[in-house]
Amino acid sequence: MANLVNIPEQKDVARKIPIEVFPDPKIAVVLTNQQSGATNIPIVSVGDNVIIGEKIADTKERVSAPVHSPICGKVIKIDNAYNSCFEAPTEAIFIEADGKKTKDKSISPITEAELSKTKNEDIIKIIREAGIIGLGGAGFPTSIKLSVPADKKIKYILVNGAEGEPYDTADERLMIEKTGNLVRGVRVLRKLLGNPKVIVVTKESKVEAVPKLQEAFKNEPDTEVRAAHLTYQQGDAGMMQKAILGYEPAAGKRSYEMGTIVQNVATINAIANAVFEGEPLISRVAALNGDIAKPKNLMVKIGTPISDILNANNITDCGSIVVGGMMMGVQLQSLDSPVTKRTSSILCLNKVHAKTLKQTACIHCGRCVSACPVRLQPVAIYNAVVKGDFAKAEKLWAKDCIMCGTCSYVCPANLPLAFNVKMARSSQ
Amino acid sequence: MSNESSSELVVNPAPHIHGPMTKNRMMQYTFFAILATLIVSIALWSQVTTPSGWNLGLTLAICIVISVGLAVVFDFLIGKVASDSEVNLWSAAVFGLIVSACYSFGYPSMAMETGIPVEAPVAFYYVAIITLLGLVVFKKVMGLAGRKFVNPAAAAKFLVLLPSTAVTLLSSYHSISGMLMIPALSGPIGLMSVVGGNGGGEGYPSFGGYLQSCYQIPTSQAVGTPETITQIMLLTKYHGWAGGACSIAVIIAGIVLFALGRKYFKWKITASYLVTIAVLSLLLSVAFSDADLIARLLFELFIGSSIFMAFFMATDPATTPYSGVGQIIFGVGLAVSTILIQTFMGFFGGSLLALLIMNLLTPAIDKIRINKPFGR
Repeated sequence: MANLVNIPEQKDVARKIPIEVFPDPKIAVVLTNQQSGATNIPIVSVGDNVIIGEKIADTKERVSAPVHSPICGKVIKIDNAYNSCFEAPTEAIFIEADGKKTKDKSISPITEAELSKTKNEDIIKIIREAGIIGLGGAGFPTSIKLSVPADKKIKYILVNGAEGEPYDTADERLMIEKTGNLVRGVRVLRKLLGNPKVIVVTKESKVEAVPKLQEAFKNEPDTEVRAAHLTYQQGDAGMMQKAILGYEPAAGKRSYEMGTIVQNVATINAIANAVFEGEPLISRVAALNGDIAKPKNLMVKIGTPISDILNANNITDCGSIVVGGMMMGVQLQSLDSPVTKRTSSILCLNKVHAKTLKQTACIHCGRCVSACPVRLQPVAIYNAVVKGDFAKAEKLWAKDCIMCGTCSYVCPANLPLAFNVKMARSSQ
Repeated sequence: MSNESSSELVVNPAPHIHGPMTKNRMMQYTFFAILATLIVSIALWSQVTTPSGWNLGLTLAICIVISVGLAVVFDFLIGKVASDSEVNLWSAAVFGLIVSACYSFGYPSMAMETGIPVEAPVAFYYVAIITLLGLVVFKKVMGLAGRKFVNPAAAAKFLVLLPSTAVTLLSSYHSISGMLMIPALSGPIGLMSVVGGNGGGEGYPSFGGYLQSCYQIPTSQAVGTPETITQIMLLTKYHGWAGGACSIAVIIAGIVLFALGRKYFKWKITASYLVTIAVLSLLLSVAFSDADLIARLLFELFIGSSIFMAFFMATDPATTPYSGVGQIIFGVGLAVSTILIQTFMGFFGGSLLALLIMNLLTPAIDKIRINKPFGR
């Protein structure tokens, strides 16, 4: 894959900074829906008292993941809150902290010794009830991903520690500091998926994480740590299967059809916490980086307003805030937007870098075509979308876009190629 | 945080960082690469004074000032008048350079390629006309129509050539028995005399002799050896396209450009064009039983209209295919049509016509899809 565009990592400082626990918010803003799949509805009312880890929104639909209260306190409001750009504000549960530390115990953990005797459906139930979704960015409910039909044999688990997004270092710090927990989480995955071979995939540039992983996984059966040379685009599950296992997964099929499950390290960490500690997903590591003097890696409660984090770090003169990665993330409409399960990073752009690039006419250089990792023709899809010809965009395979943003990144005319391909993709 | 600060946030779709390459930078790289080859041409040609009394190097320098200056000024003025026209001064400057680089200069008594004047001061007017025609008709008007279909500099030059169509395009005028005394490529040729061949034989110069009389320094009356003819074609041509006076300079500048603007320049067109030209020349040499294999190869590869076009005109992004496969098809097609035109129409410099044909075919080539998407 010599055609893949190398995007500078910009992680030299942040990757060395240990995870710091960020204080609980005074008012937590928990979005009712943070997953892809069915819609949750609140199961608490204004005035209710909730405790840490108590389930506050859920649905009976299968493809779903509940959300939980990150703090102890009282529900003061259920109202719309800013979410992310190009979306209307969505429903959120506002919880005012009362300072207590009472934890909800409704998820019964198992011990490691019990793992082999526990039924798969019981483990899946814990993962479902803990509200775990793909933390790499996709947000797909993990309980569904791991519910593989009995007749499908899984040959490989790829542990995705590539973290290709520039500036993002949350997964890298997890691999350094929570290595033991990852080993436990991988054991859960092997048990669920019938003991397939495990390849822990990370990048050779993560020089501190690689030896830690090698040491921690060295006695695990059928497990290999692969410090590969990967570009940003190869953090995608499909691209990673090509890079590590050598085949291109069939487009539009569920990943188990290819006999491989790709799981992000942050998700595996959350699985271990849920299965062995009974902890639902109420906090995550998010990198605080960008045009700031002191980048950080923060263990932050889901529901913490971004403005709290910025104020605590004296970040005041931002032109824009990107959450979830420079390449695929979104720019916030409001600093009151909260941290969600998918907030892998909070990146500040100063007023110079935040400016809107001037679009000019396409010069037909074809760079987007040669740069597209999934061999689409972004400019052709763009032209179709601009003309409103979505049928043509579909014929040009717009739905196969992995939304990596490389086409826009390389475009010398600053055209919003990725955005338009995404529009074509979501219109289908 | 207050709402006021929220309203100041910049919100754009992903991605939120951008690579270093911009259109302006691409045009700047191209500008300086072409300028470098033209400076070599000026230095070479400053040794020649044409019958009208003008130094050939100075003539070229003045033409460059005229074409670049006019292009930039008119681009700016059109941008002022038509507000929806995009002002892109670097692009206009590159266009101006190409107009001068693809204009044929020389010593009038040297064998002629075209029907338009090759020396100052008349050449100045022609360069100015081609610049204005190309900028207004082919660059701006087509740009407003959404896309450029033909290379503006090539199209404008061809339009100016049209009044002399008879001389330019009809092969009966060119051949050794016609008016221009140009040896035909549709028969055996060789660097030294070929008995019975179109380009040689008794009473006519060999093809090598033709090349030498065409391109050597006009003051020299020396009879060449194959080595000197090779040297002329590679290093020092004193006639023809200004951009192609020194083939090696063009190749070096082109390769530096491709290396600097990695993957933004369509080097696949250049590579496939040059390879196809070389292969076809050798095949035709065998087919026509040439006296040697090098005469045809030297001509087809290294005349200015071939080597300069390969690097700097055939790679014009706007009028060429965007996929890698499309670029290779384009380069091969350009080479095949160039050789056919030069061999069977006797229009030397026929790459100009070939380029226009291939430009017009580009939208069709863009529809060819060989690589399926990932996982399909």
